[in-house]
Amino acid sequence: MEHILSLLVFFPAMAGLLGFLVTKESIRAYGISVSAIEFFLSIVLWIGFDSSNAGYQFVEYYPFVPSFGMSYYLGVDGISLFLIILSTFITMIAFIALSIKNEIKNLIISVLFLEMTMVGVFVILDVIWFYAFWELSLVPMLYIIGAWGSVNRVYAAIKFFLYTFAGSVLMLVGILYMGFLYHEATGIWSFALPDWYLLQVPFETQLWLFGAFFLAFAIKVPMFPFHTWLPYAHGQAPTIGSIILAAVLLKMGSYGFVRFSLPLFPDASAYFLIPVATICIIMVIYAAMIAYAQEDMKQVIAYSSISHMGIVILGTFAMNAEGITGSIFLMLSHGIVSGALFMLVGVIYDRRHTKMMRDFGGLASVMPNFATIYGIMLMASVGLPLTIGFVGEFLSLAGFYRINWLMTLFAGTGIILGAVYMMVLYRKSFFGPVVHEENKTLNDLNSKELTALIPLVALVAILGVYPKPVLSVIDMSVQKMLVLMEQKAVEQTTKDLIIKANTIGGTH
Amino acid sequence: MLEPISIDMASLNLPALLPMAILTIGALAVICIDLAVKGLNRSFLTMFTILFIILDCGAVLGYNGPARGFFDVMLVDGISIIAQVIILVASAFFLPLSLSHRHFKEFRMAEFYALFMFMIVGFQFMVVSDNLILIFIGLETSSLALYTLIAMHNRAKAFEAAIKYFTMGALAASFYGISALIFYALTGSVEINQIEKILMQREFEPLIGVLAATVFMLGALGFKLSLVPSHTWTPDVYEGSSAPLAGYMSVVPKIAGFVVAIRLFEMLVSSGVVWLENILYITVVLTMTLANLTALVQDDVKRMLAFSSISHAGFMMAAILIGTTQANTALFLYWILFMFTNLGAFTMLWIVRHPKNLWDERYQHPYAKFSGLVKIMPTTATIMGIFMFALAGMPPFSVFWGKLYLISAAINSEYISLAIIIVLNSAIAIYYYMKLVIYMFLKDPDPVRADAALYATNASTPLKVIVGVAAIITMFAIVFVEPLLIIITKYVTASGF
Repeated sequence: MEHILSLLVFFPAMAGLLGFLVTKESIRAYGISVSAIEFFLSIVLWIGFDSSNAGYQFVEYYPFVPSFGMSYYLGVDGISLFLIILSTFITMIAFIALSIKNEIKNLIISVLFLEMTMVGVFVILDVIWFYAFWELSLVPMLYIIGAWGSVNRVYAAIKFFLYTFAGSVLMLVGILYMGFLYHEATGIWSFALPDWYLLQVPFETQLWLFGAFFLAFAIKVPMFPFHTWLPYAHGQAPTIGSIILAAVLLKMGSYGFVRFSLPLFPDASAYFLIPVATICIIMVIYAAMIAYAQEDMKQVIAYSSISHMGIVILGTFAMNAEGITGSIFLMLSHGIVSGALFMLVGVIYDRRHTKMMRDFGGLASVMPNFATIYGIMLMASVGLPLTIGFVGEFLSLAGFYRINWLMTLFAGTGIILGAVYMMVLYRKSFFGPVVHEENKTLNDLNSKELTALIPLVALVAILGVYPKPVLSVIDMSVQKMLVLMEQKAVEQTTKDLIIKANTIGGTH
Repeated sequence: MLEPISIDMASLNLPALLPMAILTIGALAVICIDLAVKGLNRSFLTMFTILFIILDCGAVLGYNGPARGFFDVMLVDGISIIAQVIILVASAFFLPLSLSHRHFKEFRMAEFYALFMFMIVGFQFMVVSDNLILIFIGLETSSLALYTLIAMHNRAKAFEAAIKYFTMGALAASFYGISALIFYALTGSVEINQIEKILMQREFEPLIGVLAATVFMLGALGFKLSLVPSHTWTPDVYEGSSAPLAGYMSVVPKIAGFVVAIRLFEMLVSSGVVWLENILYITVVLTMTLANLTALVQDDVKRMLAFSSISHAGFMMAAILIGTTQANTALFLYWILFMFTNLGAFTMLWIVRHPKNLWDERYQHPYAKFSGLVKIMPTTATIMGIFMFALAGMPPFSVFWGKLYLISAAINSEYISLAIIIVLNSAIAIYYYMKLVIYMFLKDPDPVRADAALYATNASTPLKVIVGVAAIITMFAIVFVEPLLIIITKYVTASGF
């Protein structure tokens, strides 16, 4: 267990390099095996994880460029543990469901490199390395969208790349400035996040730094009004690209908020609480309304992602254990559910080469298994109780209720609007008579697709009914982080806010 | 009655001249050997030259005499040693590019190699002196050799490029002369450290004179470093030169220029005269930004790389503007990492060079040429992609670490807005580097010319080896950062910058 984190990060990349030597015929099996081993490793990580310890575990620390304070510093806590498992799990599932035939070797190798960067972002504790993984994740994604996407793929790929790259350059300035502050305060250079956590940053400085980090995270999430790249990217990306983008890459942004913005700049987070929450509410309602107006199934899900990510960020800024734990859980559930939904759209796209709702209708009678799983995933996406979607959404909103009940009320309409557009999607595509001749002979899910989807359905049900094993682990690390935030806050109002958010009517 | 001149040989410190002497002997030897032996092969000439460069490098590193020598005009300090090593290593790496598959006329002439060595001697004189006259001699020696080297390429655009470079260079030389003259008029000295001392005493009065001298000097060095607005020659000259020489020009003459700039501008920046700093600040920002914006609209990869190198020079000038030890360390770190990456990128262009302009009437390397390269030559495309990402400052590739250290230096000396301008420029720059990546990876190849042989006419084993070395260094640059930082910081601190 000593070096399991390094193994987790670099195993996919090594496998990707070796993958160049695997022949085209067996590359798919190779991809599935590698991702399965990686998933198994992440499960081993969970088994070995001491759930009574809220701090970083499996820590690996080697000074790398000591004169500049850079180190190779890995560690997981409850906040990142399940995001790692989500990344490895979704990659494996996406490989199983993969239906692309052309140039598949390059595709699988790209996804393996992408997996390295995804796991890397979640386990790395040195901020410069974090930035490196963060930026590096764009390269394979650019290739995946640009080479295997639909008609407008190159434009979508460039837009995705430039938007996210440009957004994160200011974060680099922020990172270096934090390093400078640390050096000013202690006399030594360090870019290790746990070191930075000990630093009290003056209020004015926090505001600027919060802004520098905010842009990078907000574009990745994506928050309104920086969301415009997402519908393009999803619209043009191949199924596997959409799955990974929605399930994991968006979570990098929300993870950034939890890992960096809140604990490093607690006062700025409190200061910007209401503006950020307002943006979140706009995201929730506005994206839901656009989703309702979409003709294309994939776009509905893409916009619903924006809407759900609004609730994730809202929960994050609730500044209390319920909200943050809930938002992290919602990241996981949204990863599973949106991944599944994109996979399902991919299934129907493979058969009919269209994603337009008007081209379907009555699919429930032709493809009953498909319709059932689609239905379950829609329910989970809407946040029906006893599905995985409910837990996180409820906790996030309940958490934010303590901050501002009125805003929570507005955000809560997202659930209703979500039900509306999802039900409309379902009605248009699955109910009614089968009007299109070519839809009458569609095949139901084949064994490959079922293998990929059934684990997702099982997770939706199991974690929906009994989320405790996951929640309790997350909660412990979140509690620890909140204590840290309270200690670190330089303004009394922030301390009061955190205490208030965590006590009134609660069980803190 | 004139004093009899008596010179003590020990005080002359002739060993300080040894590195330049070695290459001068080498250059003369090449010519003599060529006279005696007919039909020398370019492989002999290349290796012979590299051997002398290695000897030179040994002499540079092995020097342990006093810092001053030869009537005190030589100054062998830390930065001059690092700069010489960079110049020599870069030369030794660029030279084997003459061993390409196809035979180019210039590489068959012994004069090419002799001139090449004279040029290096010129660069060395530029960096090991703080005497404006000796710097000028070094500058002109190297420049004249370089003009000739460009013209020897013997292709349609080479003469045009050489003449353009020569005319602009002559103008720059006159600027240099005027500036040195004003400095001499103001202070009665041509030694930079003397000038600094006297100007300090007089609190930079008369300011108008100092400003005029600075502006003329900026014009002269700006030409060498291709800073805006003296950058206009760069893309045309690069386009007309062979890819190896273009790559060489984008790295080596500039490091020599930067050392002079460090010596000269450092005192001006630290003078506390706001105007001096502002002039430099504006130059830096304009150089970064305008070059970046122009690079966006280029159709030819070589021209794009030319503009990109201008923009990188702008980043370097930022280091001089900041002027702290960390910034000067960042300058050398950046330039070493940039050197290997740029070497790789230009070598790739050299490899895919085809005798005819198949893709475009004017350009050798239009973007369209690289369409779908990943389907034709996957390894070539991947390596080229890595060089592009590295030049763009994408972590974890080479140039990123230089940029990181530079931005950090800017932030540590409270140049926050400069740091933001640098990163915003990186964000602009990513687009034109990406353009090549997009052509290589996301477009479909031209069905008529989708033939790997067309791209590999110039590839030979030495070129492949060089690209391989450059690619490995670019990818795993992080391994070298720590040792480089330690060495560079030591030398820079020792020279008092």
